Amino acid sequence: MAKRAAFLVILLLAFQAALATSYPLTVKDELGGSLTLTHAPRRIVSMIPSDTETVCALGACGSLVGVDALSDWPKRVTSLPQLGNANAPDLEALVALKPDLVLTDEYSGLAPRLRNLGLPVYAGTPQTFDQALTFFGTLGRLLDRQSEAAVLRGRVEGQVAAVAAKVAGSSEPSVFVELDPTPYSVGPASYLGTLLAKAGGRNIVGAGMGEYPQVDPEYVVKQDPEVVLLMDAPYGESVAKAEARPGWSTLRAVEDGRVLALDRQQVDMLSRAGPRMGDAVVLLARLLHPGHF
Amino acid sequence: MARADVRRVVSRGAGLAPATASLAALAAVMLLAVGVGSVHVPPAALLSALADGLTGHLHGTVDTIVWQLRLPRVVLAALVGAALSLAGGAFQGVFRNPLADPYLLGAASGAGFGAAVVLVFAGAVPWLARLGVPLAAFGCALATVAVVTLLARRGSQLPSVALILAGVVVGSSLSAATSFLMLASRDRAAGILSWLLGSFAFASWARLLPVAALLVPSVVAILGAARALDVLQLGEESAAQLGVPVAAVRLALLAAATLATAAAVSVAGVIGFVGLVVPHAVRLAFGAGHRRLLPLAGLWGALFMVLADLFARTVVAPAEIPVGVITALVGGPFFLALLRRQQR
Repeated sequence: MAKRAAFLVILLLAFQAALATSYPLTVKDELGGSLTLTHAPRRIVSMIPSDTETVCALGACGSLVGVDALSDWPKRVTSLPQLGNANAPDLEALVALKPDLVLTDEYSGLAPRLRNLGLPVYAGTPQTFDQALTFFGTLGRLLDRQSEAAVLRGRVEGQVAAVAAKVAGSSEPSVFVELDPTPYSVGPASYLGTLLAKAGGRNIVGAGMGEYPQVDPEYVVKQDPEVVLLMDAPYGESVAKAEARPGWSTLRAVEDGRVLALDRQQVDMLSRAGPRMGDAVVLLARLLHPGHF
Repeated sequence: MARADVRRVVSRGAGLAPATASLAALAAVMLLAVGVGSVHVPPAALLSALADGLTGHLHGTVDTIVWQLRLPRVVLAALVGAALSLAGGAFQGVFRNPLADPYLLGAASGAGFGAAVVLVFAGAVPWLARLGVPLAAFGCALATVAVVTLLARRGSQLPSVALILAGVVVGSSLSAATSFLMLASRDRAAGILSWLLGSFAFASWARLLPVAALLVPSVVAILGAARALDVLQLGEESAAQLGVPVAAVRLALLAAATLATAAAVSVAGVIGFVGLVVPHAVRLAFGAGHRRLLPLAGLWGALFMVLADLFARTVVAPAEIPVGVITALVGGPFFLALLRRQQR
């Protein structure tokens, strides 16, 4: 018995060693920029909310020294110094934190500015479900948290598979996702569109309409969705206002009371391609298939 | 009345004193601006950081903050302020019109349109947008002024009224086109708007050098034409009789002022009011002679812009207010107060 336990421990240690990052580590980011780390980062700045969540989900929350103003999950990061956002960063405060790794996006132009200042930057943040799964591994390697990254990926994939098993065979309700009342919506290829498909919903917006199309209000009425998700509810829209729109009174979603207002926390969770993607799919599946959960 | 006359005579006599005082004030304000930011830098650390930079050995985060973030920003604000103010003074002198400003001939709307086109069509490609916006803004500003000049030309003549009208009309059309671009691609609208309102947030030594290279010759050209501008104020016919080549001087001044404006706009966006208000304020305070007015307008334009940018980045820190909003909010009332005092 003891021998077997010892064997298991050795196996576990060997497994861990195989997954350990060896420094110095040089990687290329999404902008093609080169980043070299001489040791596991201990002073991390994250300028993207979903990156902040991933760092913490990998167990490296304690290494964060600063975040952008929108990073609010997990709760403990709200006590860290806030550095504006990637488009309008507080560069002085960022430099003063002496970060040994800055995580940012590839679009804002922040990465080249930081690189000019000699700071170690990784530019590139996931925009899709699959990119996020890959990014767990990338960040796991950078932070020497590769086994945690594998566990995280397994957990998210497990959540999505469990949802798929539960909703399999049941009919997919047609869904209109409203980002703002003008109305802007999401296409199937967008991040939220992907989550919707994984949760067993049928998007009334077709693939040909683009990722974030402004749709004709008549189109929504004509498609007669069974469920409406108001992602704009935290920003002033309400179920009552939506139901009072011209032509909406006879929508199936209105008649069945399935015009659903999402709160700020839920909207954030559904918008960030990070460790809570699995939770987001579960949330959507509960809203779309209440009988199965 | 007697007091005003005395003051005018005295100020005409003392040419060096106002310039020295203005230069000292500008230096003090620039030092203050380099010393203040979202990270507290004690005066001793500031001085040693400045010394480190001068000897070329940067070490530590304070050195980086002072030399790589604050100083290029302050110097850029000073350069742009001086350029806009000088260009405004030149335009006001050339057209003998107190409402003239550097954007009179469409440089701002042209630059805004160029920047908007790049942001809309290349905004998804970061490096292209970063390089393209200043280049397009600069090119479109020059092209717009060139078109306006061609439209206003009557044979070999360049009548002021035709120039101003053509500038207003072409400017309005381009502003409308920019508004359309913003509405048509709403996800880029915020980026375009913040560019249109002006900012020094992206200052760096690398961005500053090409602008400085364009600004220095234009500033020298404008300053060199000060005496001709003085004569021009007597009227074009009188100036011609006094031997000033009126057409050539006007064209050279317009070209130099436009080049300065385009360079300033390309790197900082459209910052209004400085080019209109500062030359007037200097004229009211120090007299109307261009040989004194123009250099002092440059110095005070620089000082005003450095102060405005200091407000822009500290009032709601760590967020920033577009510096163009500050110049308009502060410049307007200040200008009115000055006018009222003068009338009394």
